[in-house]
Amino acid sequence: MKRKAGRKAKSARAKRPRPARAAAETRPKNSIEVLVAASAQALGLTLDPAWHGSIAFNLGLILRHAALVDEFALPDDAEPAPVFHA
Amino acid sequence: MLETAAGDFAWDSAANIAAAVTAGRVSATHIVDATLARIRERDPLLNSFTAVTERRALARAQALDAARAKGQKLPPLAGVPFAVKNLFDVAGLPTLAGSKINRDMPPAARDAALIERLEAAGAILVGALNMGEYAYDFTGENIHDGPSRNPHDLDRMTGGSSGGSGAAVGGGLVPLALGSDTNGSIRVPSSLCGLFGLKATYGRLSRARTFPFVASLDHLGPFARTTRDLALAYDTMQGFDADDPACADRAAEPVVPHLDKGTGGLRIAVAAGYFKSKTAEAVAAVDSVASALGANRDIDIPQAERARSAAFVITASEGASLHLDRLRARAKDYDPAVRDRLIAGAMTPASLVVKAQKFRRWYREEVLKLFAEVDAILAPATPCTAPLIGQQTFRLGDVELPVRANLGLYTQPISFIGLPVVAVPVPLAPLPIAVQIIAAPWREDVALRIAHALEAQGVVAAPRPAF
Repeated sequence: MKRKAGRKAKSARAKRPRPARAAAETRPKNSIEVLVAASAQALGLTLDPAWHGSIAFNLGLILRHAALVDEFALPDDAEPAPVFHA
Repeated sequence: MLETAAGDFAWDSAANIAAAVTAGRVSATHIVDATLARIRERDPLLNSFTAVTERRALARAQALDAARAKGQKLPPLAGVPFAVKNLFDVAGLPTLAGSKINRDMPPAARDAALIERLEAAGAILVGALNMGEYAYDFTGENIHDGPSRNPHDLDRMTGGSSGGSGAAVGGGLVPLALGSDTNGSIRVPSSLCGLFGLKATYGRLSRARTFPFVASLDHLGPFARTTRDLALAYDTMQGFDADDPACADRAAEPVVPHLDKGTGGLRIAVAAGYFKSKTAEAVAAVDSVASALGANRDIDIPQAERARSAAFVITASEGASLHLDRLRARAKDYDPAVRDRLIAGAMTPASLVVKAQKFRRWYREEVLKLFAEVDAILAPATPCTAPLIGQQTFRLGDVELPVRANLGLYTQPISFIGLPVVAVPVPLAPLPIAVQIIAAPWREDVALRIAHALEAQGVVAAPRPAF
C-alpha cells in the first residue's frame, strides 16, 4: 500500500514542483555563521577566523543550490543514485 | 638523415605521427627529441607541464626504433607523444593533483591504467601537466604552480581543471593529452583552448591509479586536435578494469571503424531552455554546428538547472568527504579558494545531499527518454570564450556571474548523469569556443561520427595559435 501511494504521489507531484520553500530566507540572518561555527567544532576543524566569511559565503551558495533541489517533489520510493552504471 | 628531413611534427596529428614512425619516415627518437625541445622552448610561456619524463620517454622511443629495426610490427600509436594531468599516477613521481600537500606523498609505484594502455599501444609519455588544485576548478589557475596559459592569448585562462592538458595540446607541445572531467574539466578547457575533447560514458574508461575528486562524478578522457586522434586514443583505452570499482564490465566497442559513416539517418536536436546561449559567441558556435548538421529541432532537457544545482551539492559534499582529514591537518596548505569551498561542503547537511542523489536518478530517467526521439543533442560547452587570467566575473545576459563557479554551467547537467560528450571547437576569431555533442549512454560512436563529419566540412577545427 505504501509503495503504491508513493507511485501515485510521483505522477501527481513530480510534474508540478511545490513552490520554493526558500529555506534560506526563513532562517535567522546569522544562521549560516552559526552553522559554520558549530559544524567546525563537530567535525574537528580548526578555522582561522579570517576564513569564516568565505566559508559562510560558500555554504550559503551550496544551500541555495540545495534548496532548488529540495523543493522538487519526489516520491517516497525514489532511489538515490550515488553510483550507477549508465 | 632521416631526422634531418623529418621536421618537428609540431602540429601533426597523432595518426600522422604514428603512420610516419611505422613507415620509417621518421624515428620515434626524433619525434620525442623534437617534442622535448618544444617543451623546453615554449612551456615557460604556457606553463602547462609540472614534470617532464625525459629519460623515460627517450628510452621508450629507442625501444620502439629498435623493434622496428628488427622488423617487428609497431603498435597503432607508435611514437605518439602524450602527457597527462598531474592527478594520474606516473611511476616515480608523486601524484600532485595540483596541490602543495601531495608533494609530500611518496612517488607512485605504478602508472595509471590509462597510461599503461596508451603505452602498450606505442604512445610515449613525456610528462605531467598543470591543473587546478584537487580538480575543484574551472579556470586552469593554480596558486602553487601558477596558471596554465591559453595558447591563443597568453593573458587568458585555459579553463580547468585540466588546464595544462588544454595548453599543451592547443599550444602544439603534444598531439594528445589526458585529463579528468568531474563537472566539465575536459570540455571547458577544450572550449577555451579550441580542442576536441571526449568525456566518455561514466564507467567506460578506467580511473585506476588516479587521484579522485568526486567518485560518483569522476571521468577521465583524451584531448586532441582531431576527432580521429580522440577516437584512436579512446579505442586504445577502452575495456574493463577491476581496479576501478565503477568501471563497467563491458567489452570494448571500437569507434575508429565507424568514423566515416557520416551523419545520415542520425536525429540531431539543439538543447533549448536552460542551454539557450546568452552570449554572441556561444550562439554563433551552436548555430554554425546546428546549421551544418541540418539540426533544426529544439529539445528541452527537463530540469537542467536543478540538475546543475544537484551536481553542485554532491560535488561539494563528496569532495569534502575525500579531503576531511587533510582539512583537519593541513588546511593552511590549500589554495584558500578551494579550501573554503571544501570546508563549506563538509558542513552541508547529509539530508540535502541524499535528496540531490535521489533527484539525480529521477533526472537520469527523464533525460534517457529523450534518446528515444533523438540520437544526439547539441549544447554550448562554455557560456563564453576564454576570460582573462584572474578575471573574477563575466556577464551572461543581464547577470554578472563568478567565473570560477560558472564556466561549467552547461557541462554540469550532462556529466551529472554520465552521458558521453564530444566537445568540438568552432574556430571563431579572435578566440575559439566549443559545442557539446551529447549522446546516449555507451554511444560515443554517435558523438564521434558527428564530430568527424563536422571536421570534414571544416565547420569545426582546432585553430593553430600564432604563439
